[in-house]
Amino acid sequence: MSQPMTPSELAAFRARQKSRSRALALVLVALVVLFFVITLVKIKDGAAARHQAVAPVATQPASGAH
Amino acid sequence: MSPPPPPPTLASQPAEWRDFFALTKPRVMTLVIFTGLCGLLAAPGHLHPVLGFTAILCIAVAAGGAAALNMWWEADLDAGMKRTRHRPVPAGRMDPVSARDFGVALSCGAVITMALAIGWLDAGILALSIFYYAWIYTVWLKPRTPQNIVIGGGAGAFPPLIGWIAVTGHITLMPVLLFLIIFMWTPPHFWALALFVQIDYSNVGIPMMPVVAGERSTRHQILAYSVVLLPLTLLPWWLGYTGRIYGVSALALGLCFLVLAAHVGLRRPLPDGDAMKPEKRLFKYSILYLFVLFGMLVVDHLATGVGA
Repeated sequence: MSQPMTPSELAAFRARQKSRSRALALVLVALVVLFFVITLVKIKDGAAARHQAVAPVATQPASGAH
Repeated sequence: MSPPPPPPTLASQPAEWRDFFALTKPRVMTLVIFTGLCGLLAAPGHLHPVLGFTAILCIAVAAGGAAALNMWWEADLDAGMKRTRHRPVPAGRMDPVSARDFGVALSCGAVITMALAIGWLDAGILALSIFYYAWIYTVWLKPRTPQNIVIGGGAGAFPPLIGWIAVTGHITLMPVLLFLIIFMWTPPHFWALALFVQIDYSNVGIPMMPVVAGERSTRHQILAYSVVLLPLTLLPWWLGYTGRIYGVSALALGLCFLVLAAHVGLRRPLPDGDAMKPEKRLFKYSILYLFVLFGMLVVDHLATGVGA
């Protein structure tokens, strides 16, 4: 079985844990921001595509009435 | 009340984030990001900058995931080679399971994000590239055949193809040509390195070409692949997919590559303790070559607007 850590080793252990947790938190925040921005772009693109698809249909009855 | 958890022991020392970062082979990733970005920028059409950034991020993260899986699988081999024994797993700074889980998490995350943000075709090719590197090359080919790097070179050739398809949404001849260029570039690039680190490979029993077929045969094959590479890089120009800027650059860069490859390919048997200067020169130039070639592809596209 492994030996228990000395106080200095334990401090190093905690420091490593803290550093890893911070890095993970940063990555998670970055992912949240990225997915939020991707969603905005997708919604905007989707709305623009729908607008383009609907626009000719909306004008069709008017032109067809003549 | 449950008993308090046992105090941590030396064996359970967690790896640092730097070790996880090292698992992704950041230096190799630079080339992957660059060629992927060039494929994306040279493709005809428009992609929102946020989605373009996401596509490149996914390519980079997937490459990092595949690299981590490679390091997990090859930890024993890495421990026996001077060049790789300081990597996190063989050096004992990280347990193998963490490396494996990290690789799987990065790979899955990259493929899912690519599917949701860009499209299923790109995500499928990205998944294929990870499988190609982590399984076909690392597990299957590398320990079995000296042709490992020839077939395995396909793994590094995917990024420009993926970058291009992120914009166009479909596969055409031009991104396939970009794939083939990196595919043909890989053997002379890697064998130049293998020539001056072959003692390492022979120590761990990896059948790299210089170890199995000998130096002479490897040198001839480096030259042969370099001869094929030159016309292949000119094909996009001949077929009208690119303009003169790319064509002239590819010709000049390719001729330099050929001259350096000829120095390596036609060398006579070497005395013991040779410094392997032509081999090291070819290896360094081959990296610069790919950077500049793909860079000129983008410059050409931006300057002339010629596209597939």
